[in-house]
Order: sequence, then structure tokens, then C-alpha cells
Amino acid sequence: MNARQEKPARLSPEAAGLVETYFGRVHGALLVAATGECEETVEDLRAHVYEQIAETAGTPDDVARVLADLGTPEVLAAQCADLGLESSDKQEVAPRKPSPFAGSVLGLPYDLRPPTPERIASRWWDPLNPRILVPRVFGVGWDVNFGAVAVRLGLVRPDDEDVPFGSVPTSYLALAVVLPVAIAAVLAVLIVLYQSGLPAQVPVHWGISGAPDRFDGKDSALVLPVLMTVFGLVVVAGAWLGQRRPLSRVAAGALATLFATISTSVYVQELAAAAGGRDDLVMFAGLALALALPFALLVTLSRIGRAAEVRRDLAKKGDLS
Amino acid sequence: MGNEADSRLSQFRKGVVELAILALLHRGEAYGGEIVEKLAGHPGLAISAGTVYPLLSRLKKSGLIDSAWQESPVGPPRKYYRLTAGGATEYEGMATAWYGVTDAMDELLEGRTAR
Repeated sequence: MNARQEKPARLSPEAAGLVETYFGRVHGALLVAATGECEETVEDLRAHVYEQIAETAGTPDDVARVLADLGTPEVLAAQCADLGLESSDKQEVAPRKPSPFAGSVLGLPYDLRPPTPERIASRWWDPLNPRILVPRVFGVGWDVNFGAVAVRLGLVRPDDEDVPFGSVPTSYLALAVVLPVAIAAVLAVLIVLYQSGLPAQVPVHWGISGAPDRFDGKDSALVLPVLMTVFGLVVVAGAWLGQRRPLSRVAAGALATLFATISTSVYVQELAAAAGGRDDLVMFAGLALALALPFALLVTLSRIGRAAEVRRDLAKKGDLS
Repeated sequence: MGNEADSRLSQFRKGVVELAILALLHRGEAYGGEIVEKLAGHPGLAISAGTVYPLLSRLKKSGLIDSAWQESPVGPPRKYYRLTAGGATEYEGMATAWYGVTDAMDELLEGRTAR
């Protein structure tokens, strides 16, 4: 995407100027046609034009001939604008292609397309987007954009990182694995230590007031928390083994942290209820932690990424002087 | 105003803001907060940080601008943006196109006073 075609070296300033002026007019016309979507296409076209010119002698006349084949910039821009959304960059994280599986009903957004790790990740951490509630990646309703929350709290700036988590050294990126695994380990240890001592029936669901409203056998009560935790870890493993982008790996870690924390807090709640303790307090503390830990993970790694960028740029400057 | 008109207007403004950012950086490098602040000083553009930052990211991806962290005289380092050679050429082309459009629109809208 950022591989802008270099101008052939032998092209005279006059010839190169013709091309750049032409595309400047295309951009100007796009601007007026009110379509921001097809600029990627125009960039591709520009690269193509330079390739074509490279096959000629590269004189201003040759350039003019190649450009004449394209028609006037304004007509080209209009054609491009008609192609519109279809030609937009496929890498774009949130394709706006109309689909019966995504849209909004009565103002409530929904999206039933299969979620990709990239799409999930870019909703959860998008500091460039000031909106805190973003349409849910899969299902109905909204997700929290932790990036916007962090910006609002002054913990990061929107443009701190060029690519989200792109500059974070791998040794720090591993935090996104270590944290959920550590929490899952705590859950495993608690189960080993206390499972046999639990009464046959334990509470598995609590109402808004914090009072238990559903009970289950102690072993079947384990199924959901364990499955959730394992699912989160599988997502993390998939992101790393699939060599996903850093953003996806970190978001997978945040998801696994969320799931492992909820599972652990549910189990601790069961233990507290069995011991006759304040299980309602455990519930609220658990919910708070389940949001705070993934948030802390995202913010910490983003700040490590920023620090790495700063070090890189300041060192480069030091080399020059 | 319908949804469609709304979205057309926002698309239109996005293009204008892009040119505005290039024009600002043409005068010299600036950091994100500075760009937001300076553009916010032109209420007619109706620009917020939510518009500026995604555009900066996009302009950088397409190679028209570049950024680098620099020490700040006050506080932590800042990420400064500047035009690349390609961005400067693009700016000239866009500005020329812009005047072509505004001249034409001035003629077409002649006699209508700004509210």
C-alpha cells in the first residue's frame, strides 16, 4: 500500500511534472465528487502509468500520449467514483460492502459476517477513532473501543503508534501470552486445591443484585469457565502460530485475558459462596478486573510501542548530527 | 437532511481536510495536536481530532507525508509530520485543481450571499 511507485530516474522534471499534475487533478476532482474511497485505485493507476512510461523513451511527448489514453482527469475521477466501494482496498479492516448480514435495525447495529481476527482487533483498539462504542464485530449492539478510552483518559495519543503495536519488541509482545496464561494457571491451581472441598451444589449465576439465582452440580459448573478459558488461549495460540499482525496477537491476548479473568472470578465466587463469604463483592471485583486487565495490557503495550518508536527516531537523528 | 446527504457532506469535507492538512504542512512541519489546533481555528472547516488523526494516518500510508519523533522543549517527545517530495507535488496539483473548482463555483454561485 505504501509502495509508491518511484519515478523512473531518467524521467525529466517536465515529464514527471505532467504525471503529477494529472493525478493532482484526479485527486482534486475526486475531492469534489465527494468520494474518498477510490484513492487506492488511483494510486495503483499512477504506478501503472509510471510502468507504461518506463517502456517509452520518457520524453514529455511520450508522457502526454500515455496520459491521453486515460482521458481527462475529471472523467477518470468520475469513472472511479462510480466504481466506488467495490474497488476500495481489500486490506481495509472494516469493509463497507453492502451485505444483508450487516447493517442496522431500529438504530441498533448488527453484523453477522464471520468475524476475522483483524476486524475484531481493530474494533477493540482503534485510538484514531474517538468513538468509544463501536458497532459489534459479530452479533448485535456495540463493542468498547479501548483505544478511544485510553485517548480520552490521556494515557495515549491517537497517533502515538504508526501501526498499532507494530514497533513493540517481541519480548514485550509476549506479555499478551504470559498474562492470560498466568491467569489461567491461577484458575487451574484453585481448581486443584479447592474443587474436592466444594459442596455438591454451587451457585453458577448471580442476579444484578449480586444474589445467586441459579445452582448446578459442582463439576458441571466447571465446564463453562474452563471452556471459556481454553477458548481464549486457543485464540491466542492461533494468532501467534498464524503469524497474525501484532494488533491481532495483542487483541487475542486481551480477549483471552478477559475470558480467563471472568472464569477465575466466577470460580472464586463459587468458593466464596461455599465458604459463606461475600460472593457479591467478589462478583463486582471480578467484573472490574475482567475489564481492567485487558485494558491495562493494551495500554501498556501501546506505550511500549511508542517508546520504541521514539528511541528509533531520536537515535536516527543522533546519527545525523 | 437525509442520511445520504449527511454522508456526502462528510465525504466532501474529508477531501477538503486532506488538502487543508497538506497546505498546513506545506508551511512547515507540525505535530498532531498542533495540526488539530490550527485547523480548529478555522470553524468553517468543522474539523475535530476525530477527523484529523485518521487522515494523517492515511496520508502517511500513501506516502504524501512522513513523521518522526522529536524532543519537545516542554514535556515528552512529539511526533512531527512533514510533507514528502511526493506530497509537495501532490499539494501543488490539488491546490491547482481546487482553484479551478472554486473559481467555477464562485461564478455559478454569484449573487448568492454567504449566510
